[in-house]
Amino acid sequence: MSLLVRVVAHKLFALSVIVAVGLWFLVVPAFTGNLGANPLEKLLHQSGEIAIWTLFSVLTLTPLRVLFPHSRFVNALNRHRRMIGVSACVYGLLHFSFHILYEGGWDGLVESFTKPFIWFGFGGLIILVILASTSNQWSIRMLGGKNWKRLHRLAYVAAALLIYHQAIAGKGHWYIARWLLFSLLTLELARIVKTLLLKGRSNARVPVGS
Amino acid sequence: MQIRKTPSWELPDSAVTPEADYLRRREFLRAFGLGLAATVLLPSALRAATAGFPDSLNPAFRLDGVKLTPYELVTSYNNFYEWGLAKEDPKVFANRGWKTEPWTIEIGGLCNRPGKYDVNDLVKIIGGIEQRNYRHRCVEAWSMVVPWDGFPLAKLVALCEPRAEAKYLQFTTFFDPAVCPGQRSHEFAWPYTEGVTLAEANNELAFLATGIYGKPLLNQNGAPIRLVVPWKYGFKGAKSLAKIDFVSDQPKTLWNEMAPDEYGFYANVNPEVDHPRWSQKTERVIGGGFFSGKQPTLMFNGYEKEVAALYAGIDLRKNF
Repeated sequence: MSLLVRVVAHKLFALSVIVAVGLWFLVVPAFTGNLGANPLEKLLHQSGEIAIWTLFSVLTLTPLRVLFPHSRFVNALNRHRRMIGVSACVYGLLHFSFHILYEGGWDGLVESFTKPFIWFGFGGLIILVILASTSNQWSIRMLGGKNWKRLHRLAYVAAALLIYHQAIAGKGHWYIARWLLFSLLTLELARIVKTLLLKGRSNARVPVGS
Repeated sequence: MQIRKTPSWELPDSAVTPEADYLRRREFLRAFGLGLAATVLLPSALRAATAGFPDSLNPAFRLDGVKLTPYELVTSYNNFYEWGLAKEDPKVFANRGWKTEPWTIEIGGLCNRPGKYDVNDLVKIIGGIEQRNYRHRCVEAWSMVVPWDGFPLAKLVALCEPRAEAKYLQFTTFFDPAVCPGQRSHEFAWPYTEGVTLAEANNELAFLATGIYGKPLLNQNGAPIRLVVPWKYGFKGAKSLAKIDFVSDQPKTLWNEMAPDEYGFYANVNPEVDHPRWSQKTERVIGGGFFSGKQPTLMFNGYEKEVAALYAGIDLRKNF
């Protein structure tokens, strides 16, 4: 168990997992001819899926830490929040690049921005870019811890926008997106309940969220 | 109407199935005649309705100057939600023991000659099949060109002698949750239903397909018999038909029930009427390659001459 925790806590482990996901779903199929009849669409969808599940993963970490403050495993995972968050942004940018390619030109790209569907995705991505570019010690110092934290709560706004974007991306996509939404809501609800319960007990030490 | 500039999206000739291979379909079909041994050895996917093959191309539907989408792509990129939501799912999951031969299709409702037919018998009663090259435009803004084998829907309508009250045809796809795990989900109102007006059904383009590229339909393409209405979005082409009913009122259709603001009953291909989430002005050609971009979508998918009269006086923006 402690070995597993040590492995999971290692930066190299997190980085390998994040990169492996991209290799497995984007690079390997591209080089083995497994992208199917509409390869660009496949890359577009896969990169979007990776981005949103990565964002989902990072958002589960805080509630998990509140719910299981003594789990060494959860704490080990929590060391990687910054890296996972930034990689959600990187995959999101990749997804947007594939969208530009898929539209095949300026006219198509402009046309795509006449749809709220695209704006939900783009809005979410802008937030992720802001958060990723302030995910460094320097930004925390410049903004001050409190402001920085407030700014980074925008991750929840991004999640809402992007889950909606994902839900309406295709016929029947809601049936995938709802897993993201309901699991996150459940975790957040449990976290809030637990925080409130602990606050209720005057002598309890309150684990500070986020 | 074929004034062509060789646009950038056009398929390279290399992407087209060589004519020689295509013409060798007779050999392929002769192999079918080898009998029981072959039937046992061949994967079940190849045992769809075989009556009428080999057929020949109806020259009126040659679609000159348009490149056919390669067979491998037509049979591996399918929206058939009963077998999974991803395009590559049906090819895998529809071929795990789902039997589409023998197959009975029931014709009923407001007609004088209802009946149940084995699909092979039906093909014989209709008088055989022919091949037609049709454009295929999905509501998701991608397109193919498919050589279908089958017979005009109008011939079936004539055979059944619809009564005067019959105004629409309702198409119902197979329903077999025991074999089809997708149909056990309650997220969709299975079985899949679609509908067209009687006038649309009698249009010369409306087609019941039993094959693609001179070969019996594979399961993922809706074996053994499916609807093809090339001036409408692809989802109108209900697959693996179990039932066709003549009805007096506009029938319910699965996608229209699920999202009426997105999928209309008519679902005519129309570059002027966008889907709420994406533009319908252009389409990506399947097989076009990575940097091919999109090509303009044509009104009624290029079949304006043949079908526009069906919608005279109808507001196509409202009745999308």
